[in-house]
Amino acid sequence: MKLAQRYNRANLFTSFIILMITGVIYYIAIHFILTGNLDKDLVIEEKEIQAYIKNYERLPSSGDFLHQKVTYNKLGTAQKIERSFFYDNFYNEEDNENEPGRSLVTIVNLKAEKYQVTISKSRVEAEDLVRLIFMITLTVTVLLLISLLLINRFVLQRIWSPFYSTLNMMKAFNITQKEEIKPSHTKIDEFNELSDSANAMATRVRQDYKELKSFTDNASHEMMTPLAIVNSKLDSLLQTGSFSSSQGAILEDIYHAIGRLIKLNQSLLLIAKIENNLIPDIQDIDLHQLINDKVVQFQELLEKDSLKLDLQLSFSKIRMSKYLVDILLNNLLANAIWHNHKGGCVGIILQPKYLQITNTGKIGTLDSQLFERFSKSSTSEGTGLGLAISKQICSLYGFSISYNYLAEKHQFKIEF
Amino acid sequence: MKILIIEDEESLRESIVSYLKGEGNICEVATTYWNAIEKINLYSYDCILLDLMLPGGDGLNLLSEIKKRNKQEGVLIISAKHSLDDKLNGLEMGADDYLVKPFHLSELKARIMAVVRRKNFSGSNVMSFNEINIDLQAMEVKVNEKPINFTKKEYELLLYFISNQGKVISKNAIAEHLWGDEIDMSDDFDFIYTHIKNLRKKLVEVGARDYIKSMYGVGYKLENT
Repeated sequence: MKLAQRYNRANLFTSFIILMITGVIYYIAIHFILTGNLDKDLVIEEKEIQAYIKNYERLPSSGDFLHQKVTYNKLGTAQKIERSFFYDNFYNEEDNENEPGRSLVTIVNLKAEKYQVTISKSRVEAEDLVRLIFMITLTVTVLLLISLLLINRFVLQRIWSPFYSTLNMMKAFNITQKEEIKPSHTKIDEFNELSDSANAMATRVRQDYKELKSFTDNASHEMMTPLAIVNSKLDSLLQTGSFSSSQGAILEDIYHAIGRLIKLNQSLLLIAKIENNLIPDIQDIDLHQLINDKVVQFQELLEKDSLKLDLQLSFSKIRMSKYLVDILLNNLLANAIWHNHKGGCVGIILQPKYLQITNTGKIGTLDSQLFERFSKSSTSEGTGLGLAISKQICSLYGFSISYNYLAEKHQFKIEF
Repeated sequence: MKILIIEDEESLRESIVSYLKGEGNICEVATTYWNAIEKINLYSYDCILLDLMLPGGDGLNLLSEIKKRNKQEGVLIISAKHSLDDKLNGLEMGADDYLVKPFHLSELKARIMAVVRRKNFSGSNVMSFNEINIDLQAMEVKVNEKPINFTKKEYELLLYFISNQGKVISKNAIAEHLWGDEIDMSDDFDFIYTHIKNLRKKLVEVGARDYIKSMYGVGYKLENT
């Protein structure tokens, strides 16, 4: 549940309850006051009647009173009644209808005789007033609730918009990209703080990452010179005289190790360069032509294990760096060949929208980590960076690369 | 052949010099930017090996100095930076080739030979080694006027051997030369044996002597015996 929704619900619920309670109290209070007023009028009337009786020694006539009715009943000596106020109906002759009324029953003494006097007044005006007040209260309540709802919906939405924009930028945050998280400008301190903190964090993370990367980069660079020296010294050593075959085997092992180290270093440097998007040389690439060239380049390697090559090439043009497309194809083709078995096959399908390379292989399905750096099968002698580099090249140009194991064949597919 | 090696890393410089000298090659060295300027002003060379990161100045500036003097030297850039920008800039400014460190000395030698060959190209572009004649333009190899039908790789391999005659070339260097260092070869160089065997067979079949020898299992050598 969203914060605003939750808040809204609590807010509306409380407002509604409180307004209801207020309404009831209001109604009761007004009712009480109006009834009090009516009763006061009735009491005044009672006093007038008593005064009249005192002055004139007779009962005033029933018709002498406006908007009220007075009835007299002679009481027997045994009859006793209490003076009391009560609600009853009031018949309005003008409008010919029954209205709610308020009556006072009291006793007057006239010449040693007791009379029960009932004074009735119409309550209709008071009731109307109460109804009016109730309606106004209800309208106000409804208006208040609606406006609360609208405020919550629209104002809150506006107030929270910087929060969501910050959140979206954090979601889209990519450590390798240089886009800043734009600080959101709002009058809400909390959101400013959030945005500032997110920014500070992003900057710090990027800074750390940059340092780490430049460390790797520098380390790789620095390693290249000694590697170049070792490599050249090894070449020189080979010229110096005759070696026994066991010495030769040692030299070969050293060559292999150095070769791997150099390759590893070059791969690390390449990754850093791709991440920094430092590869220029973007041009239109005719993949059909390029793959045909590659097949020629790999010819001997295919023949070595008598691999069958199955080419289904359509025309496809993509726009990317020549250097990187070379590396990408080299990696995928080299993998398809090196991880194959004798007499296996390599299939290349090129369509305008995708390139698919399949190969038979020594082992079954590869784990899902295969695009991670330094992930490789135990039998592989590669650097474990080839597929990581391939993936990075693909993502640089917005291509998607996927792996599948179908019908005992490894299948790599790049969608442009 | 006179070669100027502009390289500040002493060990590497020494290796290069010891590999290149002999067979009538003369190597001179420069270790700093100004040292190099001095040598360029005073002498002329067939080929200049230029390191891009030098004490005292940028190698690319040195390249433009060389080009300003309108000299005919072939320039081969050797750089630790595997930077496409540098490579493109260097080639645009008139360098003849760009080799990234670390490299095999045999690769360096082959590149130098190619640069010098291109520079000295005058009508006939033929390379010979005893009875083996190679028409570089037509990419044709003849032994005693008998043409040999080589594959592209075998042809490149032969050229590589002749450029490095008398030197032991490691299998790594051969693999890298033929397939480029961008292909992960999985360190499985045994199949190179097949190529060399084919090359030797084709040469011997038309009556050439068998010059190529396996050396200690590490590499091969073409020897003028």
